[in-house]
Amino acid sequence: MKIQFIIALIASFAAAIAQPVVAPTNEPTGPVRGKTIFDDYNVTQYFEVGYRFRSVDGNEGKYRSDVNFSDGLRLLGSQLTLHSKAGHGKYFDELVMSTQGLGNDPYQFASLRIQKNKLYRYDMTWRSNEYFNPGLTISNGQHLLDTNRKLQDHDLTLLPQSKIRFFLGYSGNSQTGPALSTTQQFDSRGDEFLLFQNIHRTRNEYRIGNEMEFFGIKLNWTRGWDNFKEDSPYASNGLNPGNNITDLTTLSSFKRAEPYHGNTPYWRVNLIGDRQKWYLINGRFTHSSGARNFVFDQTAIGTDRFGSAANRQVILFGNARRPVTTGNFTASIFPSAKWTFSNHTAITNTKMEGDASYREINNSTLSDVLFNFQYLSIRTISNLSDVTFRPAKFIQFQGGYSYSSRLIRSVQEVNNPPLILPAADEQTNTTNSGRFGLRLTPKKQLRISLDSELARSDKPIYTTSDRNYHGLGARVQWKAKNLTLSAAARSSYNTNSSNLFVYSSRGRNYSFDGSYNARTWLSLDAGYSKLHLETMSGIAYFAQTTGRNPSFIEGDLSLYRSNIHAVNIGARAAIRKRADIFFGYNRVQDLGDGRTTAAAGPNVATVQAFLIAQTFPLSYLSPMVRFSLRLHERLRWNFGYQYYDYSEKFLALQNYRANTGYTSFTWSF
Amino acid sequence: MNRLLYGFVFLATLVLATGMVVAAENSFVGSTVCRGCHPDVWMNFNKNPHFKSIASGDLPKASTGCEGCHGPGKNHVEARGGKTSIGAFSLMNSRQVIDTCLTCHTRDLSRGNIRRSEHTLADVACNNCHSIHKPAGNARFLLAKRQADLCYGCHSTVRSQFAMPSKHRVNEGFIQCTDCHNPHGTAAPTWRAGIRPRMVDHALANEEPCLKCHSDKRGPFIFEHAAVRVEGCETCHNPHGSMNKKLLRRPTIMTVCLECHNGAGTFGRTNTGIITQSASHNLTDPRYQNCTTCHVRIHGSNSDRTFLR
Repeated sequence: MKIQFIIALIASFAAAIAQPVVAPTNEPTGPVRGKTIFDDYNVTQYFEVGYRFRSVDGNEGKYRSDVNFSDGLRLLGSQLTLHSKAGHGKYFDELVMSTQGLGNDPYQFASLRIQKNKLYRYDMTWRSNEYFNPGLTISNGQHLLDTNRKLQDHDLTLLPQSKIRFFLGYSGNSQTGPALSTTQQFDSRGDEFLLFQNIHRTRNEYRIGNEMEFFGIKLNWTRGWDNFKEDSPYASNGLNPGNNITDLTTLSSFKRAEPYHGNTPYWRVNLIGDRQKWYLINGRFTHSSGARNFVFDQTAIGTDRFGSAANRQVILFGNARRPVTTGNFTASIFPSAKWTFSNHTAITNTKMEGDASYREINNSTLSDVLFNFQYLSIRTISNLSDVTFRPAKFIQFQGGYSYSSRLIRSVQEVNNPPLILPAADEQTNTTNSGRFGLRLTPKKQLRISLDSELARSDKPIYTTSDRNYHGLGARVQWKAKNLTLSAAARSSYNTNSSNLFVYSSRGRNYSFDGSYNARTWLSLDAGYSKLHLETMSGIAYFAQTTGRNPSFIEGDLSLYRSNIHAVNIGARAAIRKRADIFFGYNRVQDLGDGRTTAAAGPNVATVQAFLIAQTFPLSYLSPMVRFSLRLHERLRWNFGYQYYDYSEKFLALQNYRANTGYTSFTWSF
Repeated sequence: MNRLLYGFVFLATLVLATGMVVAAENSFVGSTVCRGCHPDVWMNFNKNPHFKSIASGDLPKASTGCEGCHGPGKNHVEARGGKTSIGAFSLMNSRQVIDTCLTCHTRDLSRGNIRRSEHTLADVACNNCHSIHKPAGNARFLLAKRQADLCYGCHSTVRSQFAMPSKHRVNEGFIQCTDCHNPHGTAAPTWRAGIRPRMVDHALANEEPCLKCHSDKRGPFIFEHAAVRVEGCETCHNPHGSMNKKLLRRPTIMTVCLECHNGAGTFGRTNTGIITQSASHNLTDPRYQNCTTCHVRIHGSNSDRTFLR
């Protein structure tokens, strides 16, 4: 059994039978007992070293955006564990370190836990992501991103099993790399110009905290400082004619500096009290006082849309503040083994305020304009009550009622130089929501869940927000020793129509899943999901249908239909305890509204572009196969192949097919 | 009267004595006794986080080792095993499982809302996800499977979303479900109406977890895009995965924007509708169909209230 445990331990990097990424390898190397070192520690190790390969046919930018695996030697996975047998190691009792994808995979991960009972516990995670996005459909490729994001979290707990504990923590987040952006000059009807941006963003968060127990109540507090800094320079490459060749606007010189620094110190205080099996109370208070200091200096020289010389400088500096305060109180009581009552009250107050000066200088006329700040505050009070009742072992009822009141206050300036007139408004949205659910367990293997929710909001802020909402859900699961079957259905409807405009959405999701461990050497896994979404939105826009000037189109409709079918299949077989073979298949397909060409479809919108956009059929499939051969009880040779096929039905510009794979050796002891 | 008094005293003594006998019958035997019949569990128990309870050596018997979770074992030993003679989790209902685990774990900060979490309300108990004796992978959280696969087990449609071309990289191992969600329940969200979603964790003390990584979108900005602050990032994005670029809810930018920016009355901050686009925007011209080509700072800007720079 020890061997089985270690096998399970080694399979830590991925255990899913329907794992969508071919490597690292799932299959364990074999029986690993570990070694005893320094008399007291049991040590196990696992390494998987291999070579990835890939070839891409079609739009490589889109492939890099979706998948991004490339050629090269990798430490696909590794794990090191050291455990003190008696739980009293000299420096630590446990050390567990694992890695994934080191050596240039786009998704790299490392984690470390090291702890000594009663004294300390240290947890670390480090992650790196190579992100590429050509932004083709967003802005014709002019918002390309080729950045690296690194995330790291460090947490040290002192005296972890004591009634008085101390916490120290650090989180880091950096994003660096080249990118493209655009700028519009010289007025709101001017042309757009490509800019180069060298992204450099960093975020550092430091935490200190303490937890203590007294009179059966636990008090936990954290004080944190979150610093953010962005210093991304922008540049334009000489004379730039702009995106629209008929536009007379040109840009011959451009400079922008935009340092943006700030910090968000915060407090978080929690109180937890309980009397086991009678009640649980939890109070929470947080306050963060976010602030950002910025300077913006931009000079653009060229010609405006009338062909006249333009020389515009924008200077802006100021401070933006957003204090957010929240208070939460949860009380759960358990009057008997059959009943649970729970109530949660939350208050959130967010304010956006600050001061800033905006100065736009026309360097030829030396005129300028001053703008002031916008104010926005959101105050939400919500109360959520839930009750569960289990009259018998096989049945449980669940009900709930939620109330929310959200007040939004806004002050916007109406710019009419030299006067700046504030326009103050406020609105309150009240939401009432009721829920009911039923859980049935007629047999130990069979679970049935039914859920429903009905909600009403009187003044939602957006046309797409929930107003008259209801949802229904059902789920059935049969879980026996070797066989698991489940089926689920969920539908949600929302209508949010005003007297002139209409918005409604209807979502229906269905899923069927099965997992069968037929033999110790054979297991099967399959699933199917259907995600259906239809929305209808009233839209208004300007369009040049006749004549010279665009006319205002009102009462038009935006119809969107997404009809997604997703299939996943996995099969694993072991051959004489010597070799393992795994086959997986994933396919996601959006059938849209059934049309075969972009132009066809319901003739609702006036602008043909809307008809094209409202449904977007495509398919994305990814079959894979992996073979793993045990060469020695501690050594395996692995080989895997995964194919990707992305295919849009209306436009083939982004389509690609990619062959990826790897071969590796896994060694452990 | 005296007979009644004697009778009462006798009965009370009998009840107390019986109780003591029962208590004695259910006494603790210590984990080393369990080892005799369950060597498979014991041999690797030193790698289990619960081993601390034994290694510390100073916890009460009711909180130590095997009997810390399964209760006193003397009856079980004398009956030579059997699930009915000990606290067997396989025979407990979800409420009993949660009660047992929360005996020690109730005051953990991350579990303050576990009694009202969607999982608890849906009758999902601790041992649906955690395997105390046979965890998969490293034993840090004693998960029965890799985290994403545990979640996919019930949330099949979410699995489908993470298999879409544009997605957060959960299957690739870069992020995990718990980077954004707390499976043990959370406080009410500080965005949207403060009711839903119930299982999305707060980042940085009190904000949407998206901002934990996408800190450049956090602001504060002089000109906030209210959609981001009031209703949250999912107004425009599908956070798990999307068939559309950048996790967007619509395949093209203009439909994302125009479905709100239609001027419909009673909506928006001023109750007069979300402003429509400028009359200079001829939507038949492809130039105006990618709104963010000009409105580059759509998440918030310090220098332009229409997010042009």
